[in-house]
Amino acid sequence: MPTYEPKVVCFSCKFSWGYLGDQEELSRRIKNWIPIICTGKVDTIHILNAYKQGADGVLILGCPEGHCHYQDGNFEMRKRVHLLYKVLEDYGIERERLQLSLSLDPDGKTMPMLVKQMSDSIRALGPLKNGGVQSEKTVEAGR
Amino acid sequence: MLKIQTSGLAEVEQAIKQLLPPCQIKCPIDEDIQRTNVLISMLPEDEATAKPLIMQISDYLYEKNPFFNICGYICGLCELECNYKNQGGAIRRRLLKRFLSDYYTDFLKDKEEFKVPKERENVAVIGGGPGGLMCAYALSKKGYKVSIFESSDRLGGALWLIPQYRLPETVLKTTVDNLVRIAGIDVRYNAKVGEGRLTIDRLRNDGYRAIFLAKGTPYPRILTFDGQTVPGQDLAGVIYGHTLLFEVSHGNINPGYFKGKKLIVIGGGNVAFDAARTARRLGGEVTMVCLENEDKSTRDGIPADEAEIRGAWEEGINIIYSRGVQQIVGEQGQFKGITCPKCTSVFDDRGFNPKFDCTDCIDLQGDSLIITVGQAPDRAFLQREGLLNEQGRMVVDPFTLQSLKKGYVFIGGDVRRTGFMIEAMKEGLMAADSIERFLRGLDMREGRKRDYEAFGIPRRKSYEPETEVSWVPPEQRLYFQPFEKGLTLKEARAEAKRCLTCGPCLSCKACISMGFEKSLYAVEVDEEKCSGCGHCVFTCNYDSAHLKEANGKILSTTDMFKCKSCGMCVTACPSQARKLVDDDTAQRIEKALSIL
Repeated sequence: MPTYEPKVVCFSCKFSWGYLGDQEELSRRIKNWIPIICTGKVDTIHILNAYKQGADGVLILGCPEGHCHYQDGNFEMRKRVHLLYKVLEDYGIERERLQLSLSLDPDGKTMPMLVKQMSDSIRALGPLKNGGVQSEKTVEAGR
Repeated sequence: MLKIQTSGLAEVEQAIKQLLPPCQIKCPIDEDIQRTNVLISMLPEDEATAKPLIMQISDYLYEKNPFFNICGYICGLCELECNYKNQGGAIRRRLLKRFLSDYYTDFLKDKEEFKVPKERENVAVIGGGPGGLMCAYALSKKGYKVSIFESSDRLGGALWLIPQYRLPETVLKTTVDNLVRIAGIDVRYNAKVGEGRLTIDRLRNDGYRAIFLAKGTPYPRILTFDGQTVPGQDLAGVIYGHTLLFEVSHGNINPGYFKGKKLIVIGGGNVAFDAARTARRLGGEVTMVCLENEDKSTRDGIPADEAEIRGAWEEGINIIYSRGVQQIVGEQGQFKGITCPKCTSVFDDRGFNPKFDCTDCIDLQGDSLIITVGQAPDRAFLQREGLLNEQGRMVVDPFTLQSLKKGYVFIGGDVRRTGFMIEAMKEGLMAADSIERFLRGLDMREGRKRDYEAFGIPRRKSYEPETEVSWVPPEQRLYFQPFEKGLTLKEARAEAKRCLTCGPCLSCKACISMGFEKSLYAVEVDEEKCSGCGHCVFTCNYDSAHLKEANGKILSTTDMFKCKSCGMCVTACPSQARKLVDDDTAQRIEKALSIL
């Protein structure tokens, strides 16, 4: 029985994460890495789609507090994540499956480690069933 | 590896009305302040890795502004207009450029020449100061054969009068000497145009098709009171600040020259402070007397920079405000003192027109008097060359800088109107543009007038205070060493990061030059889906998303001049009515998720 390796999708902001590193090399070391111009652009639908398509966890790496190039994009993202936690709870998706870190790492050296850390923290939860999609009956029964 | 891709300068679209960040509107040469601030903020923490990027940014700045490293010591006009100034402090742009200069100045001697074939006409530039050099630089890059006629044995003009504690000699010399080498400009030293047979007409006959006159202001202005020259300016012990700074710059004044002496400096401008603080460093006890009052917010306020006033005060210089000089008192040909009536007002509707209350007079005694009340051009030369009208005024078209007496002569810089180094440089650029149009037979005025509108401050949750500037304490200020400490790499990054990027994307394109975005995306609103809720308006930090009324509906719209293509409004829209045209972020995400 092969050991279960959680699939973690990593969204990261181009302005603080990994822009100085070798992009090809980073892509090899970080599976499912999606660099974007600002974490404020990460819509709830993207996170939910990630779960739907098979991700067990989503890691969002944004810019430090007060340092967003577009002023408040990281704040918008934090609001979104905060509200999303409530919704995910109702659907039985554990909080640990969505994590965010606001910091600065231009070389991207800590990124593979952060992905692994997240992976480790959700391994015990097992794979996300059905991509998080549950029928109404299951939701009702779970209450 | 981050590499900055720049294909020449960030092109600004031709438009009659243009939005720019306020700093770039203030900058007389429209430097790409915003773009380079962003680039500096992205520098790595490690100095060795940062160095090549610092060089890239510097090379980019040098193309448009080969004096940028000098600006890092003595300019900073942009800071006066920075939107951040009321929220914690203007971005310390001058120190950011000084930071770059600390690395780049040394490199200048190794910088390769621009390989531009010089196949166009010969142009003569009279005067090797910042105005003349800038004109020569711009024309050389376009392929003109430029010769600078410099009357002294060194390039740099009035920049040499700036004391070394503000602008170190090595920075100045390295910059100007390498500029002419890099741009391939021919320089004739000790070529005094206006003396002997070397006249403007002679230059014309020698084959120079156009001439830029930037001779500056070699003479100090004489002290007057009520329109009359104040007698006694030829007493022993009376000198002009201009002369003192000139002699110091040539190394002709020994340390301790004014030791044990009491000096009085007349003047309230930056040059007066240069002279006063120089005299202080030469051992003198210095008192300054100026017409203006202490309140810089009024028209009659002292014109010198706050930093100069603060520095002078720290160094123990006494400043007496609101006093004029009616009389210079001497004894047996030696200066003894001055008589100072109260100055009740400096400017009125007609301009500079000081008024005095002569019943309120004070007497000041001293060993030496330094007069620094302005500079004047060589009027005799201008007269001989036929550049003045019957009233004795220089007649120059202020828009093109073309002389109205001799069409092939263009005049700019201090000789036309006293100003800062950067203003002289701007006139050098204007003249270069005019000279090209003149020689190519193009219209002299078309497309040159641009109306700019300043952009406001973007909204954000928190604003940060500026980086502290540290000065060496006054008692430790060694002689003429610079006392202002520059920024470290860490401080430079943090300070540049504070920049709010107020200006529109078109004037910046930092994200594109770093390869973060491939283009600036337009925002499209689907009018069917838009419900007019206004979420986008609330989310947009740049005041770009608005609601408008159309066809009886309230719809959202985007002002593309102000839009940053960041996509916040797209994500915020509950109806998914907005999108960024040609943005492939959604596709990239889909693709990445599909291989899960």
